[in-house]
Amino acid sequence: MSTSIEKAKASKVKVAFFDFSSCEGCQIELTNLGEEVFTGLLQHLEFVEFREVMTETAKGPIDIAFIEGAFTREADRKRLEDIRARSKTVISFGACASTGGITALKNHMSDYSQCVYGVNSGAPHLASQKSEPISAAIKVDYAIHGCPMDKDEFVYIVSHLLHGKEPVIPNHPVCVECKMRETVCRYSYGHHCMGLVARAGCGAPCPADGIPCEACRGFIEHPNEESLTKVMNERGRMTSERAKNKSRMFTATLRGDAK
Amino acid sequence: MPVLVQLNCDIRIIKFIYLMLKRPLTSAARGTAMSVYFLKESDLTFFLGRLLASSPVIAPVAKKSKFVFAELGSAAELRLDYDVTLLPPKTAFFPVKQKLLDFGPDGPKSAITPRKQVLFGVHFYDIKGIDMLDQLFAEGHRDNNYLANREATTVVGSSIQKVSSRAFFSTVGTDVQPRGHDAFLTHVTAGYVFETRTPKGEALISFGSFEKATAAQIEEAAGVNAAVLKRCPEKLEHSSELIAVKVRNAFANEELWTDLAKDCFSCGSCNIVCPTCYCFDVQDRWNLDQVSGTRHRTWDACLTNDFSKVSLGAGGSENFRERRGQRFRHRMMRKAAYLNEKLGGPACVGCGRCSAGCVPDIADPVRIINRIVGGRHGSSV
Ligand code: SF4
Ligand code: SF4
Repeated sequence: MSTSIEKAKASKVKVAFFDFSSCEGCQIELTNLGEEVFTGLLQHLEFVEFREVMTETAKGPIDIAFIEGAFTREADRKRLEDIRARSKTVISFGACASTGGITALKNHMSDYSQCVYGVNSGAPHLASQKSEPISAAIKVDYAIHGCPMDKDEFVYIVSHLLHGKEPVIPNHPVCVECKMRETVCRYSYGHHCMGLVARAGCGAPCPADGIPCEACRGFIEHPNEESLTKVMNERGRMTSERAKNKSRMFTATLRGDAK
Repeated sequence: MPVLVQLNCDIRIIKFIYLMLKRPLTSAARGTAMSVYFLKESDLTFFLGRLLASSPVIAPVAKKSKFVFAELGSAAELRLDYDVTLLPPKTAFFPVKQKLLDFGPDGPKSAITPRKQVLFGVHFYDIKGIDMLDQLFAEGHRDNNYLANREATTVVGSSIQKVSSRAFFSTVGTDVQPRGHDAFLTHVTAGYVFETRTPKGEALISFGSFEKATAAQIEEAAGVNAAVLKRCPEKLEHSSELIAVKVRNAFANEELWTDLAKDCFSCGSCNIVCPTCYCFDVQDRWNLDQVSGTRHRTWDACLTNDFSKVSLGAGGSENFRERRGQRFRHRMMRKAAYLNEKLGGPACVGCGRCSAGCVPDIADPVRIINRIVGGRHGSSV
């Protein structure tokens, strides 16, 4: 342990940020860490590429590459492969990179380009295909989930990697966190909620504020989708069709009907 | 002591699943009344006010349409008319997330700082839950992280004024008496009968205007506590012994467990809300300086997928209860059979929290057990 820290001190860990199909909100969220945390991290990290805050770009080797955004253009594959080749560790950064996120909402539509870009939809620079997580193009070592990504989890994961340790990423549903903070369940109000199948780690702030969980951190492994449709229908008072389609917002690539 | 340790390629990320512990914390003195007092209805506020001035009081308060145990700000917040709380009162000494220690270049330093506190208004089924944890955490390797806080707490029980819609406390573990409390308060016509059971409970008398209870008041209190047992909406129909045997015998019935767990989300809610669940997970976090940090333990839930995942080293892992049905079965085995001998009864107190907390409504022990054992509400399998 101490050797990796000493090494880290001698030569700081080189980190770089890259963005693909996304709103770049996750990178912005990073700047919300606050001065103390940021300067604390800077004792251990050297940012070699981070478009939101600097103009330099990385050409050489990278220790940790954070990739934001979904893989939705075949043309991006080469750039991703280049990042992978230069990086020791690759981390998908936020919902779009980790699961396709909201960009994958288009996957079950054929006319999305016209819907969004209207008359310009044929322009070559707007061409995109199916939206997929970064892991569809290259090997991804870890995922920081959430829309936006959780900045505390970012610090936690980076700290663990600095020590050469495996970070533990929750794989239990949001229900656990609601129960722990004694949030009255949305279903007890006859509402719906995706928390039953949604990956926890956020601390369940939405249901605590009376808002159903939209599963922005994606599904847990083995989500019980059939049962979800059933409870949304029976207890959440949704039509079966709506229950089935709710919610594609953050889970389009993870659902049984993923295109 | 069989402790299952998961090493995630990291000695600091340790998953403890504490099983089997031995020695009871509760002294023989518990369970027998020292003295019986009477407190007028109008004197309760005064009593609590003075108690609050001397130490924190954790008691049932309203949260939206439900109730929770929380630190009282004032006596007016107290809701002794609660039916059941969202989480059991064990949170007073076994919090959901507990800092165990700070570590740094000079080694670890315990973060356990017990404070004197009063846990007030606990229903008897939850006292039974506390008894089980007292025993399990004291057995074998004594868990001071629990016991230090537990010993600093004075527990005051309360009669049940309102019965929750899924309760079955009157038909589960009927031979097991609640022990781990220092005093017990029963709401009667003109006020409260207050029985002290330990010197800690007796010490509370100085905070209020208590009188000696009359024989009639004592009799009324006994009647109140007996009557509430008849008001449970759900019922087990067999003895704990028979249930334990039948549930165990159903172990190999794969079809049954797969069917019972068909709609299960592996959400762990049935674990988290349970007063007798005591598994936890231990994780470390480094501070920004990357040389110091903290170790916390957080409640864990055996219904969730990763609970039973263990490291095989070199990044490999193995899940020894991979299927929903296996995890669902494991909870029922733990609640109805595995711990019975050690605890003297089932590790379920009939609070009905799991039944109420399970969205697909499949966690209700009464329905599961009656289906296995047979009874009015279900056929024998
Ligand atoms: S039985 Fe119910 S509460 Fe328990 S894990 Fe399954 S769905 Fe969740
Ligand atoms: S198993 Fe259910 S009913 Fe029994 S003690 Fe636990 S939460 Fe209460």
